[in-house]
Amino acid sequence: MRDRSIIHLNVTDFAVAVERLQDNSLREKAVIVAPLQAARALVYDMSEEAYGDGVRKGMRLDIAMRRCRKACVLMPEISRYRQAMQAVLGQVCAYTPLVERGEEDGHLFLDVTGTHRLFGPPQDIAWRLRKQVLANLGLDPVWSLASSKLVSKVASRMARPLGECIVGHGEEAEFLAPLSLSLLPGIKPAERRLMQDFNLRSIGELAALSRVQLRVPFQKRADFLHDISRGRDRSLVLPERNGTSRIVCEYHFDTDICERRVLTDTLTPLIHDIGRELRRRGHVGQRIGIRLFYSDGRSVVRQASCRGGSDNDFRLRELALAALNRAWQRRTRIRSCILICDRLLPRSRQQTLFSMQSKKEEQQGRMLAAMDTICHRFGRNAVRLGTS
Amino acid sequence: MCGASSPDALCKRAKELGYSGLALTDRNTLSGMWDFLHSCKRHRLKPVIGAELVHADLDAPLVCLVKDAGGYANLCNVITVLKDSRKTLNLEYLQEFQNGLIFLSSSPVFLEAGRKNGLDIAADLGCRPTAKSRLLYRWAKASGVPAVAGTAAVIAGENSRQLFALLQAIGKKTVFSMADRKNREDPVFLEHPSVYEKRFSVWPGVTAAADTLAGRCTFSGPDSGIVMPPWNNRGNTASAVLRTVAYEGACRRYGTDLSEVVVERLEYELQVIHDMGFSSYFLVVRDIVQRAHASTSCGSSRICGRGSGAASLVAYCLQITNVCPVKHNLYFERFLNPGRTDPPDIDIDFAWDMRDGVLDQVLHEHGKHAAMVSTLIRFGPRMAIRETARAFGLASGEIARVSRRLSGLHLRKGKTLATAVRDLPSLQGRELPSPWADVIDLASQLIGIPRCLSVHPGGVVITPDPVCSYVPVERAVKGVPVIQWDKDGAEEAGLVKIDLLGNRSLGVIRDAIESVRINGTAFDEEYWNPEEDPKTRRTVAQGKTMGCFYIESPAMRLLQQKAGTGDFEQLVLQSSIIRPAANEFVREYVRRLHGGKWQHLHPKLAEVLDETFGLMVYQEDVSRVAVALAGFSHVRADGLRKVMSKKDKVLRLEHYRDAFAAGCAANGVEKETEEKLWQMMMSFDGYSFCKPHSASYARVSFQAAYLKTHYPAEFMAAVLSNQGGYYSTFAYVSEAKRLGLVIQHPCVQSSTIRWQGKGMCLRVGLMAVRGLSRELMKRIVQSRGEKPFTCSLDFWQRVFPARDEAKALIDSGALDTIAKRANRTVLFWEFSQVRHLAGARRSSPLFPVQLPVPPALRDPAKKELFRREYRVLGFLCESHPLLLCNKRIKGRIRAVDCAGYEGRSVSFAGWLLSGKLVSTKSGEVMEFLTFEDESGVLETTFFPRVYRRYASLLMPEVLYLLQGTVEVEYGAVTLTVKTVRRL
Repeated sequence: MRDRSIIHLNVTDFAVAVERLQDNSLREKAVIVAPLQAARALVYDMSEEAYGDGVRKGMRLDIAMRRCRKACVLMPEISRYRQAMQAVLGQVCAYTPLVERGEEDGHLFLDVTGTHRLFGPPQDIAWRLRKQVLANLGLDPVWSLASSKLVSKVASRMARPLGECIVGHGEEAEFLAPLSLSLLPGIKPAERRLMQDFNLRSIGELAALSRVQLRVPFQKRADFLHDISRGRDRSLVLPERNGTSRIVCEYHFDTDICERRVLTDTLTPLIHDIGRELRRRGHVGQRIGIRLFYSDGRSVVRQASCRGGSDNDFRLRELALAALNRAWQRRTRIRSCILICDRLLPRSRQQTLFSMQSKKEEQQGRMLAAMDTICHRFGRNAVRLGTS
Repeated sequence: MCGASSPDALCKRAKELGYSGLALTDRNTLSGMWDFLHSCKRHRLKPVIGAELVHADLDAPLVCLVKDAGGYANLCNVITVLKDSRKTLNLEYLQEFQNGLIFLSSSPVFLEAGRKNGLDIAADLGCRPTAKSRLLYRWAKASGVPAVAGTAAVIAGENSRQLFALLQAIGKKTVFSMADRKNREDPVFLEHPSVYEKRFSVWPGVTAAADTLAGRCTFSGPDSGIVMPPWNNRGNTASAVLRTVAYEGACRRYGTDLSEVVVERLEYELQVIHDMGFSSYFLVVRDIVQRAHASTSCGSSRICGRGSGAASLVAYCLQITNVCPVKHNLYFERFLNPGRTDPPDIDIDFAWDMRDGVLDQVLHEHGKHAAMVSTLIRFGPRMAIRETARAFGLASGEIARVSRRLSGLHLRKGKTLATAVRDLPSLQGRELPSPWADVIDLASQLIGIPRCLSVHPGGVVITPDPVCSYVPVERAVKGVPVIQWDKDGAEEAGLVKIDLLGNRSLGVIRDAIESVRINGTAFDEEYWNPEEDPKTRRTVAQGKTMGCFYIESPAMRLLQQKAGTGDFEQLVLQSSIIRPAANEFVREYVRRLHGGKWQHLHPKLAEVLDETFGLMVYQEDVSRVAVALAGFSHVRADGLRKVMSKKDKVLRLEHYRDAFAAGCAANGVEKETEEKLWQMMMSFDGYSFCKPHSASYARVSFQAAYLKTHYPAEFMAAVLSNQGGYYSTFAYVSEAKRLGLVIQHPCVQSSTIRWQGKGMCLRVGLMAVRGLSRELMKRIVQSRGEKPFTCSLDFWQRVFPARDEAKALIDSGALDTIAKRANRTVLFWEFSQVRHLAGARRSSPLFPVQLPVPPALRDPAKKELFRREYRVLGFLCESHPLLLCNKRIKGRIRAVDCAGYEGRSVSFAGWLLSGKLVSTKSGEVMEFLTFEDESGVLETTFFPRVYRRYASLLMPEVLYLLQGTVEVEYGAVTLTVKTVRRL
């Protein structure tokens, strides 16, 4: 396999950067983005200044405000961030189809291997991209270039909040060796604690251990740790594809909730979105999973499945509620939930000899089809299923 | 967790609605009976006692109403059986105990069977006609069984609905949400009689039947008089035996030639005990103590009879108590007097680890005739907030963070919970986010509501008939039988309680003496008289009593320093005068002790208060002053003394206040004097001691102080091994260092599970290493006993600790001696290798294991090693955290040097050890905090303004830089703090 060229583009503190585009007076000020109207708001994003004062993502706003009293607090505008992310994506897509993006967080990986003849050397692409994004969008991303996603990410972390970093082919291990282990992605918290126990502080100290030695404390993870400590990462840049094998919907509560009814009411539109997407693709889902995130940071996943699958919102809702019953066993408030529909199958176009559907299901199917048409024309919230 | 309304609220509501009587049928319990009876009396309602039985063997709840005293005993038996999971509650059993009971049920099957078997039954139609109750009504009509309409109320009024829902959420450990209300059933509340008349108008007579049923229940509460524990007389009367054993004991205590004073006092006490019928009680307690002595390996257990019982010479002669009442002039009438109508109790402390054994012995010996007393746990402000927050689904970490700051939360008169929380200094500047306001609002309604039944620490009742014929008995979680009443309920019923309590300091003294003997020094306890030892008295006078029972708190140590006497009599007085509401009298006592002028408030008080410098110090002083100045009888004066310690004293005190004022006026006492005396009496609000109790404690204090003075290593090892003292392990280790002891690291080669003290060395016990299981500690000691560990590899292979345990042992330095030059990081690598090779196998391999050469891992910096040591031990063996502080502190004064800076402003860097919150007269909160540096301990005062400002900063075991003024009063040094900064 030939050497790859991976660019990591990172607009640091993406939400804050987008907000600063809207309001110039926010530059140089400490900024926290959090849902202000929520009674128990959590920090969505913060500027470098607020980070310096100890504010972190996911921290409770009142604690964050105690740590950074001078911070200016803004409401998160997710749609605006999504738009800005889309705009950044638009700028980079001209150079390569292999672009992996995060959620609305300003992170992009570009695999520009083999584009030399078209656009010049990779570092030129990165330079050009940065200038382009700055000129067209007003955002100034950090960029880095390396042979893998892992090393390019570490390089960006080194470069932030502004700047760039290039790690040449074959120089990965040398580049990583003096850096702190905290900069290396992919290490689990328990492994990090174990490394502290062995007084391993830098990536080089980890790299100095052989695979056999690493197997002593880290067992199956030894090979992985051995590779990443030397900058070896073969993971591919995965572009967003339509028609993935699952459909995911997520909802963050402004205030964490403990009322079951509120949660079930929230699930209804999410199920409708999943159902509509299934019908659009001509698929049926065999399994619905729900992941609940509790306010103490723990999460739990439970599923419910049905044979043959379904794209009927009512059936999907039954499955979702069954999964919810299994998932919500703790006496702690819910901060967010993710609904996942997977095990997708193409819906059979062939009519069965003897209709398996009840008359009610047929009626529901017709009604859902009509709703889909309305939503397609007037927007996803034009018509909704009600709950009683 | 269904009772959202108290018996009083239910009775009050019933009276308002015009009912003439009320039945309280708690589910499977009679715990609320005494409250209910008092409330009925207060609201002039006729009580009907009963219980609702809910059991898997019953297909519907069964209500039992008590008709007469026999029925009450039967109900107690039935509930006892129902609570016993090993037994089934069937009809045959109910038949056996049917006398005196009316059974109400909505189950046709039960009613039919009951009718055939001759039970006194009635059909329970519930609170409204339903399809089911219509069938029941028809059946009852046809069968000639009375059909009765009931209220089925679980709450007094509609306004308790929310509270009921919250209690349900707490009880079922679910989340409380009014949004989910439709998923729950609404609780039934008490309504006007006309509502039920109207509802049941279709079935005439069913409401009147309820009245008829209530009329048949004439039982108005148990009345067994005083129930003494039985004593097997073996042919002689209890009084005769008591006389014999008392005189035998007196000869042991005083020699065969008894003085006239002793004989006179013995005769007087024996006569009173005989007249009041308490002889068997004394003998039963003596048997318990004797058996405890016999069960110990050395044939003598360490006990401390305390409370008013210590005033009895008979108890002293029977070796139940340890202080001579004649020598120390202890007032016998405080314990027993002919007018006393309530049962007195004798409290005995045993070494804490012996207590369970003694209780088991008593419960085993007396079988069904003995049970422990319960304690009704009610929601206090903090518990209410915590439980409500849980029901609101708040994360446990967040609850713990807020809860930690509620330690000074007390509800005062006229203050709501929300105001009290808002005014807490520890929460100043911290806005509690939603839904905390709702949590606190709802929690305020919970306060005072019963939460659960727990076991009293040591209260036992022993009865002539099986206990379950006086009160229902159930099994506590730890397996002991426990009655459904708390100590007040037991007292109301006349059940005489014996308190067998655990005391850690008795364990400390026992272990210290044992260590002294093991270390080769003879120790004769027979003629041990620590009160007369000059060195011990000096220790006490200097307040160097950290670790000594009852006199180690900062307040006590400062008082000893100010008093500077160190003698037994003053210590008795001091341990009683230190009480929450008596601060000004403490100051006055010290002034008078040092020769300040004073005179009695009234000449008649000279006899009563001479030995206490004209101040009321002991509980009995209240009674004696009331007798001397207001002409109270002994009985009435004792009532005044008792009412002081009751929770609902306000109303009753008013009555005594008037009587005291009238009595004083009649005796020519000036109004001003009378008011001063009353104020002094009010300082006994909350807890206070009688002199016999103080004297018993002072003796234990002196024993501890003696051991600390002469055998500091053995004593400190015993204090640290028994745990549970006033201070943290960190503070005791610092104290040991100040005593000149060398703290030796824990060591797998030489440490035992407990701490060891010898000479001037203190070896840390394995128990001090956090995270070690008891099994591992035993394994280490056992393996080492078989053969000493040759190296660390040998240790890992023979002991095989879990990963966290190995890490804790390494970080504590317990393997340093067998490490063979490997550093601690390499040791942990070696352990990981052994674990990796052995997998989950715990057995030793056949051939010696050869480990590959470990990588060249470095040890962390010295400071990190200390940090790890502190994390697993909670203290540092060779250093002090202050010396490791990154910041250099300029111009700080050390604790030992503070005395030289009297009246001057100084900076002091200290480690926060402990604190005590107090309220000023104006109700403001202030705190006395104890700090220490590497040289000593310094007591500090945070007045309300400063405390409000810095309370949210103050956390235990953290370094602070304090600035304030040094104050020296009678030789005691304190720092009045002005500013605080966290280092």
